[in-house]
Amino acid sequence: MATIAHGDHGHHEESFLEKYIFSQDHKMIARQFLFTGIFWSIVGAAMSVLFRLQLGWPNETFPFLETLLGKWAEGGRISNEFYYSLVTMHGTILVFFVLTAGLSGTFANLLIPYQIGARDMASPFMNMLSYWFFLLAGLLMLFSLFLQTGAASGGWTMYPPLSGIRDAKVNAGSMWGTDLWFFSMSMFIVSSLLGGLNYIATILNLRTKGMTMWRLPLPVWALLFTAILGVLAFPPLLSAALLLEFDRIFDTSFYLSDIVVGGNLLDYKGGSPILYQHLFWFLGHPEVYIIILPAFGITSEVLSVNSRKPVFGYKAMVYAIGIIVLLGFLVWAHHMYMSGMNPFLGSIFTLFTLLIAVPSAVKVFNWLTTIWKGNLRLTPAMMFALGFVSLFISGGLTGLFLGNSAIDIPLHDTYFVVAHFHIVMGVAAFFAMFAGVYHWFPKMFGRYINDTLGYVHFYTTIISAYAIFIPMHFMLSLPRRYYVFSNYQTFNIFEDVSKFISVFAIISFMAQILFVVNIVYSALKGRKFTSENLNPWGSNTLEWTTPAEHIHGNWPGEIPEVYRWPYDYSTGHGNTDFRPQTEPLQEGEDAH
Amino acid sequence: MLNILLTLAVIILFYTVALFLGGIVERVRALKGEELDYTKNNQTHGKLFLIYGVFFLLMFAFSFKYMDFASLPKAASNWGVEIDELFVITAWITGIIFVVTHIALFYFVWKYRGEKDKKATFFAHSSTLELVWTSIPALAMAVLVVMGLKTWFNVFPNKKTLPANQLTIEATGKQFNWMLRYPGPDGVFGRRVLSKEFVSPDNELGIDWTDPASHDDFFASELYMVKGRPVRFNLGALDVLHSFYLPHFRMKMDCVPGVPTGIGFTPTMTDDETRELLKSNSHWASIDPETNEPRYVKFNYELACAELCGKSHYGMMMPAHVVSQSKFEEWTKTQKPFFEVNKDRIQAWLAARNLSAGASKGSNNYAAFNGGDTSKKALKLDSNMTKVEGATHNIADNKATEGKQ
Repeated sequence: MATIAHGDHGHHEESFLEKYIFSQDHKMIARQFLFTGIFWSIVGAAMSVLFRLQLGWPNETFPFLETLLGKWAEGGRISNEFYYSLVTMHGTILVFFVLTAGLSGTFANLLIPYQIGARDMASPFMNMLSYWFFLLAGLLMLFSLFLQTGAASGGWTMYPPLSGIRDAKVNAGSMWGTDLWFFSMSMFIVSSLLGGLNYIATILNLRTKGMTMWRLPLPVWALLFTAILGVLAFPPLLSAALLLEFDRIFDTSFYLSDIVVGGNLLDYKGGSPILYQHLFWFLGHPEVYIIILPAFGITSEVLSVNSRKPVFGYKAMVYAIGIIVLLGFLVWAHHMYMSGMNPFLGSIFTLFTLLIAVPSAVKVFNWLTTIWKGNLRLTPAMMFALGFVSLFISGGLTGLFLGNSAIDIPLHDTYFVVAHFHIVMGVAAFFAMFAGVYHWFPKMFGRYINDTLGYVHFYTTIISAYAIFIPMHFMLSLPRRYYVFSNYQTFNIFEDVSKFISVFAIISFMAQILFVVNIVYSALKGRKFTSENLNPWGSNTLEWTTPAEHIHGNWPGEIPEVYRWPYDYSTGHGNTDFRPQTEPLQEGEDAH
Repeated sequence: MLNILLTLAVIILFYTVALFLGGIVERVRALKGEELDYTKNNQTHGKLFLIYGVFFLLMFAFSFKYMDFASLPKAASNWGVEIDELFVITAWITGIIFVVTHIALFYFVWKYRGEKDKKATFFAHSSTLELVWTSIPALAMAVLVVMGLKTWFNVFPNKKTLPANQLTIEATGKQFNWMLRYPGPDGVFGRRVLSKEFVSPDNELGIDWTDPASHDDFFASELYMVKGRPVRFNLGALDVLHSFYLPHFRMKMDCVPGVPTGIGFTPTMTDDETRELLKSNSHWASIDPETNEPRYVKFNYELACAELCGKSHYGMMMPAHVVSQSKFEEWTKTQKPFFEVNKDRIQAWLAARNLSAGASKGSNNYAAFNGGDTSKKALKLDSNMTKVEGATHNIADNKATEGKQ
């Protein structure tokens, strides 16, 4: 690729619309994904604050809620119907719009062309479409919040029959709210497929000269596997959504059978709700790896650069991701141990699920060895990457309880599950995303981000996140998705703990607003990233060889050639403690 | 009002201090020209992170003490005890890994915080190390899998042998309560026919009153089980998914419309025995302001719904009890069969259809619980077992009704 002359890229005058709105430039699309993701994370987090108000102070009224929400919070207390819409939307928005599109979309777009040495994606047009379908999906979901019958309220997993019976008597959210949810998800799946195919094609075909697969930086490996997972796992969800819409609109019986509503037997016969769960989790489980793999990649990169040490066991890291991807397709039914499927199946899924702990453990130990005997530069990005390691350990270990089918009998669908997945794929993935934003901020916005606010953001977030989720582990008897629980003498002992959690949820939310303020302020007024110091972190990867200002095609001249792997830090050769990939091997240097 | 103002003040203070601090520090750094020098930050945050780490691990350890009141009393079922043991073993294994890795993390960050003239050690790969930390977790996982599956197959055995004195209870979830059907003195459930003819608002389960076995079945408003007597729940749902959840027994299973499920165990602790245990729990021993008595006095087990089933999902609470066989029999005597209570209405319904009560012998037209396996083979195998309970499988529609006419 390096031999292709640059031509007239970058000199072509773009209109405002081409440059900022219908952009086909990966750097702009990355920012579009980031800002849309930020918008959605604020919406999703604000929803969690609303339902934490209900959970923390179930007996108090907040008059401003009625002003804000009208009939959904009559008397200043969120109604139970709206509560379930909130938890459903919170889950959907954060899992799909923020941690899938926001995380993958931002960093796949930013890093893939930059780090493999490509001028742009294989299909910039498809890349643009991927963003616009994502935006459309988001708008549809947003509209559903304003429906008379309310947004979908069947939980983010949308299990039928609750989501399958289009009857306001059964569930108001199962009217248009659910239709919009599935239409929106269909758009989202299209977006994700367009993006994923493009990422795979780009990584496989557009690597610069010398950039062999074993010289790819780990974020690119992670994003490649993420894209493969997405492309293989999202279509079953599309089919699940279609079949469910058939059940809802044309009264077919894919998922429904023997249903009695208000004493009347409905006509559905022969379907099984468990089928939907299989189809859903066939995506749903790989989905958590779609979220966490880019986080692995970003963490590995940030830890290595800031430790001034090569990432330990580079190939093991890649193999570990590969094995996780493979096993990730064989464990979906561990979400269904208690669903009524054949218990014998549960035993097989237990085996594969606990096997995943092995490559995950390898990754954790490799990260710890990466910082061992390093010369750690504790930038905010590094702090968040370290935080990620802590969170991934904490959340990963509780997975060993839930993955074991026998222990899952009491724990299934309780706060223990909520605590587990919020730590391991919620907060942890967010931490990697923060690390990525802080680390590549100069590259994205041409200015440095304010470090002090970054540190404040870090400590506030990690303390409040643990203050929220550690107590939740001890609420392991309490079923999740309870609007109130004072009617149970078994559960009303959690009232004070619940208040404590709500307070920290609000603190955590405040810290995130600080982060957004920091991004906006620093992007406009921050210290300038100039051509005097194009490689502020002393990094080996190719993105730091591009000019300070964004140009179409990334490199003004030829694309640089690559001679080595990306993790030659502190090798003892050369004048600096890093050896960029563009530097040819010198005598005495080993290739990795 | 004061609370709101105070909260607002705290929020404003947080942002003011943070933004002020951020602005000042950045300006000072710019003036000093040390824009990308992290030497000072490395010192500060290497130490700060270690302090945070110590605080974090201490809080983690203390949380076990603070949250002790919230733990459930000793499991009240045979499998519950076994599951708890497994839980504790897993907690020890993961707890040790958690503490060790976190100590390493916090220590490394402090120990190797960057300094100007220090060099990192180039250490990119070691097959030995990687082999070690692949095989140790693999071994630990093997132990957990074997132990876990042993318990799992105890709870859900492949071999379907019924304990002789088993108490079978049918629990059906609907929005938003539980329907608990006991088979009555004959030990046999009345047949159910899921057809539009039989299912009505008065008879949501579609019980076939022409089956004499249905006449002594009763519905209970509280769940009663017998200590030491195996109990088995045939689970179902009318409208949407529900999940039959007994926290004190560590038991749970989804109730699925159209797919019969079930779960069985042996209760091991009566209400009184658990009440005795709760005396040492700080929460349960405290005085309830409403009754002026310690809370444990009013303790009973509870049945909850654990699968989101609509807007009042949280309201599906039903008290549960474990009593001695004699007390259970006493209680049974107080329960009136549904047929008796509604005799006039049912007789009128039957007369209108030219049927007579207790005249027919037939079979269910739906599959009863067979361990959760819905494959045809399993259903066929399982029919031998359910005959013991007096119900045979017949998926074909309405055979029962045809037979009678």
